[in-house]
Amino acid sequence: MSTAVLTPGLRAGAQPRTAAGARPPATVLLSAAVILLVLAWSIAPGLFTGHDPAVGVPDDKFIAPGAQHWLGTDHLGRDLLTRIVHGSASSMTSALIAVAIGVAVGGALGLVGGYLGGWVDAVIGRVVDVLLAIPGFLLAVVVVTALGYDTRNAAIATGVSAVAVFARLMRSEVLRVRTSVFIEAARISGGSSTYVLLRHVLPNALRPVLSLAVLQFGIAILVIAGLAFLGYGDPPPASDWGLLVSDGREHLLHAPWLVLAPGLVIAVVVLSVSRLSRHLDQGRNR
Amino acid sequence: MTPRPDAQAAVGPASTAAPSRRRLLQGISAGALGLAALPLAGCALDGARADGGPASPEDDLELSFLISNLDGGWVPSQSAISSYEANVWQQLTDKLVHTDAEGTVSPWIATHWEQNEDATEYVLHLRGGVTFSDGTPLDAAAVLANLEAWAVGRPEEGLARVGLFPGGTYEGAEALDPLTVRVTFTAPTLSFLPTLGYHGCQLMAPSSLALSLEEQADLAHQIGSGPFVLESWEPRQRVRLVRREDYDWAPEVLGATGPARLSAITFTVLPDDTLRASAARAGQTDLAYNVNPQVLDSFTEAGFTIEVPRYLGFVHGYSLRTQVAPFDDVRVRQAVTRGIDRAEILRTVFTDAWEPATSWLQAGVPETTDLTELFAYDPELATQLLDEAGWTERTAEGFRAKDGVELGFTIYPTPYLTGSVPEAELISQHLGRLGIRVRTQKLDIPTYTERVTNDPTQGVQEVTRSFVDVGTVAGVITDEGEDWFQTGSSDAELVRLRDEVAGAASREERAGVVEELSRHVLEQAYFIPLEQNVQRIYVQSPQLSGITFNAVAIPSYHAATKEEA
Amino acid sequence: MSAAATETTAGSSPAGTSAAARTARRYGSFALRRTGQALVVIALAYVLVFLVLAAIPGDPISAQLDNPQNGYSEEEKAQIRAFHGLDRPVLVQLLVSLGNALRGELGTSMSTSQPVAAMIGEAIPSTLALAVTALALAILLAAVLGLLSRLLPEGPLNSLVRSLPAAFLSTPNFLIGLVLIQVLAVNLGLFSLVEPESARSTLVAALTLAIPVSAQIAQVFITALDESSGQDYAEVALSRGLPPVQVVLRHLLRPSLLPTVTVVGLVLGEVLGGSLITETIFGRAGVGTVVQKAVSSQDVPVLLAAVVLSATVFVMVNLVIDLLYPLLDPRLRVGKESR
Repeated sequence: MSTAVLTPGLRAGAQPRTAAGARPPATVLLSAAVILLVLAWSIAPGLFTGHDPAVGVPDDKFIAPGAQHWLGTDHLGRDLLTRIVHGSASSMTSALIAVAIGVAVGGALGLVGGYLGGWVDAVIGRVVDVLLAIPGFLLAVVVVTALGYDTRNAAIATGVSAVAVFARLMRSEVLRVRTSVFIEAARISGGSSTYVLLRHVLPNALRPVLSLAVLQFGIAILVIAGLAFLGYGDPPPASDWGLLVSDGREHLLHAPWLVLAPGLVIAVVVLSVSRLSRHLDQGRNR
Repeated sequence: MTPRPDAQAAVGPASTAAPSRRRLLQGISAGALGLAALPLAGCALDGARADGGPASPEDDLELSFLISNLDGGWVPSQSAISSYEANVWQQLTDKLVHTDAEGTVSPWIATHWEQNEDATEYVLHLRGGVTFSDGTPLDAAAVLANLEAWAVGRPEEGLARVGLFPGGTYEGAEALDPLTVRVTFTAPTLSFLPTLGYHGCQLMAPSSLALSLEEQADLAHQIGSGPFVLESWEPRQRVRLVRREDYDWAPEVLGATGPARLSAITFTVLPDDTLRASAARAGQTDLAYNVNPQVLDSFTEAGFTIEVPRYLGFVHGYSLRTQVAPFDDVRVRQAVTRGIDRAEILRTVFTDAWEPATSWLQAGVPETTDLTELFAYDPELATQLLDEAGWTERTAEGFRAKDGVELGFTIYPTPYLTGSVPEAELISQHLGRLGIRVRTQKLDIPTYTERVTNDPTQGVQEVTRSFVDVGTVAGVITDEGEDWFQTGSSDAELVRLRDEVAGAASREERAGVVEELSRHVLEQAYFIPLEQNVQRIYVQSPQLSGITFNAVAIPSYHAATKEEA
Repeated sequence: MSAAATETTAGSSPAGTSAAARTARRYGSFALRRTGQALVVIALAYVLVFLVLAAIPGDPISAQLDNPQNGYSEEEKAQIRAFHGLDRPVLVQLLVSLGNALRGELGTSMSTSQPVAAMIGEAIPSTLALAVTALALAILLAAVLGLLSRLLPEGPLNSLVRSLPAAFLSTPNFLIGLVLIQVLAVNLGLFSLVEPESARSTLVAALTLAIPVSAQIAQVFITALDESSGQDYAEVALSRGLPPVQVVLRHLLRPSLLPTVTVVGLVLGEVLGGSLITETIFGRAGVGTVVQKAVSSQDVPVLLAAVVLSATVFVMVNLVIDLLYPLLDPRLRVGKESR
């Protein structure tokens, strides 16, 4: 799930590119709408549902999706949509934490390594190699085991497993920018290295990092959901999306919506995020 | 350590009782009846076979059984009472007597018996012609070897005695003749006879009993006299049993004689509850063990048979450690027990087959009386109790607090019981309404043992335990025993009742004390009953029939048969 | 890793028509350096995982020792801890453990007392079968998607094919697995849940794992195909009136395979990591299941061995790919042919 393989520059070659300044394609707008909706769910879940996410009406258990409960109810008679909506804050925040860790730590490593070069770069390079060598999901499992099982720790673990890709991208961007004319000029005109790094190198390397960050955000949602599915996140009655699927799994035989609805929500959100990331990337390559 | 939920079956100190002439007569007459009925039943069966009836053992019927785990190993003293391995042992072995779900004892390998006036001496008369599957006789000498293993064991070699067996008062046994055994006790031991029918007391060949611990771990070395014999096995994965063709000594009361109807049984391990359920639904197994109770209704609708046998023992519930806050206050304990809506739990988490608890003992235990009014759901009373106890502040999240400390605790739902997680979630909701914060954390078996069972600072202990004889309760309630409630000897009433249960002179007298004790435990809310415990759930394909369950809810497949689909 | 490969290929291409001997020498030193790097990475991975796991408070042995019911004296506890080496400073423990690992000694499980090597060894066949099948399926799926993306005329169908990888990548593999079980096993009875290691069951489990993995390969493959179709030789081939199928198979496939092979090595991490969830869902007794049990019982030696094993497999496969890469490079082949 943690994609080491990022494909900056990937684009749907057969599709005619929209001219610069034109309206983004409909799929991008739709994706943005999905993300906005989920962000709104996270910020003000109460606006979207009137039910209680933790306490349901036990006698209304396993009601199939319908007018009363759009996505049906779970094994304790709780409205599933409500639980998904209320679970989005935790799922979004933890993915955000994970990406923040990846960007901050990975970005710093890549920046320093790429700019200073020499033995610093070599040491950082080996550390990054090690992080890349351990399968991302496994690394996240190990880290969350060391930190203790809850959603925040799962987020940190996911962040750690994303450090390497950010470090690599940042390093290559720094190398690219470093050799460009205006940096040379800044250097010659006597800027300190820190100044040049922050003032000139960083801003120029930022856009691809941002595009990767958006993509990693989607991946982080998947990884954290996977950890929650295996029981390494918050326990019930929390309603992290992965946990919802895991809880619903026992009832797949007679209440399949408990698995399908949260699973598809994860898929749609991640798909939207990756569409947006691709769009940002196209912008860069334009 | 091997997890063995039902290894929790235990026996209390020797129960004492006055001689009971009625029991003596019962024993003899049951035995005599059994003997007389045998040939008749045999004829009946022969007739059926001649008619080409459905019971013909030539039918090539095989049973497939999906089980959660078989990690307990095959040393009988370790796994005979396991919730998992017992399903296999029961088919491989016989017992001296059969004890049914109501605690009634009837003949099996022992055809009849006598006991003396003060229940210190028993004479068992064995059935002739019974052999182990290696051909050696199951005679008085073999029974003596088994009694020795149950009562004493060889602890220095790692072979523990059977915790169920009243070893504390066991004096010795001797063979009066090749088919007669006399067993003597140092003190009255009422629990002896029923104990012979429990899963720990399975008859093994003396050659198996003599093996070392390592040798016993190999199931192939375990020779029994049961209706099935081992064909092959893989550790922790699979056991395959085949019919023993010359078997002819099933317990009379179960109504079938001769060899088993099924030609083979295969136990396959599939650890995941959901996968077992799915496999059963897909028709890929005849029997699936322990699936989520909430899916059972959908199986019933699809025509499956659901068996939820209840054993003798404690109901499913929480025992509270009174040294751990907030359970050091009786009012909090009472509020917790009054704050749980058990009817809602039964409706939501379980099916109609589950029954409400009426005491802290299962209703099948003969001594149990209905004390529901002592713990019935009463949220107003609970609120009042918490107010009185001074938990009147409120935290930002709305939970009660006192001196800045939030009122709450953590439940770790037992991994030994399917359904314990949603049950804990509901309890958390019920108590949350009263302002008590109940966190729930699901743990797997090893972690559960470490963090809950072994941790004296964990206030809630979930109880799922069968027992042999109601005398067991004397062994858990004070520090002369397991000290479930961490009261030590500080509760004089509890100490007095313990001594009276342990020293009761007759079953009738003891029953009265047990009621008094139960009342005290429930009034003090030391124990919070939830529902009558169903620890074993069997999802059976509609084609199966003829399956019976004993006192500890273990199935026998001797008489089981299967229609071809 | 792929960076190293790219450097080398870039460096070796101008060598085109010069002596093959020089190319071979250069390749030899590259191979040596690359292998050394891989070994360093594996050793560092061991150290890293060891240190992370050392942060876990408590271990099964201490938990057992501290259980008041066992009633061990302080002296006895100290002795037993010393036996397991738990009394020494972390760095000493690390060195001892690393030294043992170098000698192939992985220690014993803290919770089952079984040798770690045996526990993992028993689980490897199951995971290997799953991983190999999954990788094969993923490559197959990616190849089909890639070829379709070139062969289908522009239009909605082509767009659909091109958007499939993103959809595959976004779907949690547990969702895929659960749906496949419900539909293929329960509803259609196509495979047996009772025998998770059977060929059919393995195939379905592998499919679960392969879908997201194929997406990554397909993305790279499609991009590479698109890029090579923009190259002169492809345009020339098309303008000569060759049918598209031939152009794709003859001219586009080979150059596109190179980046694709690299990505196959990199997605191996996905396969190994993803097997954790897939094995759980399908009830397979593989390395992932061993890891899960080790995690819940905080069985550090088992966890350490399993993670380092995964890292080793990953590093080694990628080493092989990197070493093969220059040999596959068509520009290098020109050099050889000119001999």
